[in-house]
This record gives sequence, C-alpha cells and structure tokens, in this order.
Amino acid sequence: MTTLLIDVFLLLLLVITAIGAVAVRSLLAATLLLAIYSLLMALVWVSLQAVDVAFTEAAVGGGISTVLLIATLVFIGRREAPAPLIHWPSAAAVVITGAVLIYGTLDMPRFGDPQAPPHQHVAPHYIAHAMEETRVPNFVTAVLASYRGYDTLFETAVIYTAGLGLILLLRGARARRRERRR
Amino acid sequence: MNVSDLISAVLLTSGCFFAITGGVGILRMPDFYTRLHAAGKVDSLAQALILSALMLQSGLTLVTAKLFLIVMFLLATTPTATHAVAKTAHLSGLKPWRARKSRT
Amino acid sequence: MMFTAAGAAVLIAILLFLMRALLGPTAFDRILAVNAIGTKTVVFVALLGFMAGRPDFLDIALLYALINFIATLAVLKFVEYRHLD
Repeated sequence: MTTLLIDVFLLLLLVITAIGAVAVRSLLAATLLLAIYSLLMALVWVSLQAVDVAFTEAAVGGGISTVLLIATLVFIGRREAPAPLIHWPSAAAVVITGAVLIYGTLDMPRFGDPQAPPHQHVAPHYIAHAMEETRVPNFVTAVLASYRGYDTLFETAVIYTAGLGLILLLRGARARRRERRR
Repeated sequence: MNVSDLISAVLLTSGCFFAITGGVGILRMPDFYTRLHAAGKVDSLAQALILSALMLQSGLTLVTAKLFLIVMFLLATTPTATHAVAKTAHLSGLKPWRARKSRT
Repeated sequence: MMFTAAGAAVLIAILLFLMRALLGPTAFDRILAVNAIGTKTVVFVALLGFMAGRPDFLDIALLYALINFIATLAVLKFVEYRHLD
C-alpha cells in the first residue's frame, strides 16, 4: 500500500516534469528538466526492480544525453522560436497514436504473470543452466555478455563508429569556424 | 527495539527533517546565492544522516562499506559541485541580492 | 516502515527542488536544483534497496553519485565558456 503511494507520487513528479519541459521557453531549462525527468524515470525503474534498465537510464539519460543536448544548444542558440501552444494536427496524431497504443496494451499479459509468453520460451533454460554454462552469477549479465555476446559486440562497434564519426564531423565544423574568424 | 535501531531511527528522522528543510530553503530563499546554502550544506548533512542510519541497520557487511563509500563521495562532491555553480554564476555576472533597507 | 517514511520525506524534498527547477529564474537555479535532485536520487535508491530487502541496489546509487557530479560539471563548463545564459 505505502509502496503503491510512493510509486504514484513518483509518477506524479514525472508528469509535472514532462509538462514543465514542454511548456518552458528556454531550451537550456528544458534540457535540465529532461535531466530531472530521466533521474525520476530511473527511480521508477529501480522501484520496479529493473536494476539493469535503471543503470542504462542513469548513464544515458541523466549523463550523456544531457551533455549532448547542451553541446547542441551551443550550435543552435538557446531560445525556442515562438510557436502556438497547441499545433492541432500533431495533437490529433499524438492522441490517436496514444489511443491505439493503450488499446494494444489491453492484450498484453498482466505485470509479473509467470504464464506470459516471454517467460515460457528461453527464459526457463537461462534460469536453469546459465550458471553452469557461462559461470556468470547474474542472469541478465549472462544473457547480454554470453548468450548474445556477438550482438553486444557489434552493438558496441556500431556505437563506437558513430561516436568516432561525430567527433570527426564536429572537429571539422570547429576548424572551419576558426578559419572564418581569421 | 535495541540501541542501534533507536539510534538509526533518530538519525533517519533528523535526516528527513534536514532534507525537507533544504527543499523549503531552496524554494523560499530570495535569490540564487542564498539558495546555495540550502542546496549545499543542508543537503550534504541530510544525505550523510540518512545513509548513516542505513549503515547502522545493515551491520558490518559489504553493504556498509558501499554506503560508507557513497557518503564519503557525496560529502566530497556536493560541496564541490555547489562551489562550481557559484563560481560560474559569479563569473557570468550574477549580482547578489540585497535587502532594500541596507541599500543606503 | 521506517524506510518508507524516509522515502516519502525524500520524495517531498524532490518535489520542492522540482518546483525551483520549474520556476527558475536563472539557469544556475535550475542547475543547482538538478544537482540537488541527483543527490536525493542517490539517497532514495539506497532507501528503495532497503525497502525491497535488496541492498545490492547500492551499486546503482554509487553510479548515480558519480554521474550526477560529472554531468553537473559538464553542463557548467558549457554554460561558463560558451555564454549559454
């Protein structure tokens, strides 16, 4: 009961932050509110006991994307162009998509249902044999680093390449700007 | 209820008191430089008190060691971060707030 | 039960910091509020671990403490040197 109250309060804070991030006109303020949003989102993940997702949310949402968004603000300026508060076609698109998504969740299995399809396929094998097959004490780590090792390896390669490309692009832009100043 | 439970309850209560005080302070203080007091000092104290209460609850284990690390780290970084914010604000030309009466 | 009450107090503090982040008025107020919310998040994760009886959540709390500090400094560096505000 009390944990339910805490969850509801957390979700309330999330909604307030999200509305604030949309309503505020300064882009720097919106970025900082998004950082708060992902801190709160990570708390929701911890509250759902999804520790690994919370790790990712904290590192990516709270750390890296905040810094990347601020770096973007350096290039584009920090004020949003004035726009009407509600853009009706996009509002309609959002409402319709939201309604379809909520309709889709009606078919999903209940939260924590042991009979749900994802818990019937390979999960029992991992739970039974992960320790003897991989010698990794944590299931999720075993799946990510051993059973899906190649997947993780190439994901890392893709992200590394993207980062490298970004650095090269930004360095080029900086050199050109310095050239122009001369 | 034994002694360590009692001490940790006291620590937890005072930690919560300081946490909420810091929140009220950051909301009610008149300008940025005064809000630094609420965010920097009161917050460090609140987190140290709450985490010390958790340390007492978990006994002498790895959990206590981790909690001790977190407390030490936060005690070092929170004032540093607050100082950095204050320095940046000062360098960018933000003027401290003055009460109307003292401006004579 | 004790931990839950403490968690509620920390959440109320987060709400107050959030109000300051929403109100502004300067960017530094908001950065200060983000930093303070980060600290409170670390404490709340630790409390959640004790509430759920899984103190291994503390690893996340440790990670948050690190990331929060680095993110604050990175944001400040940009604001200071690029005159964002």
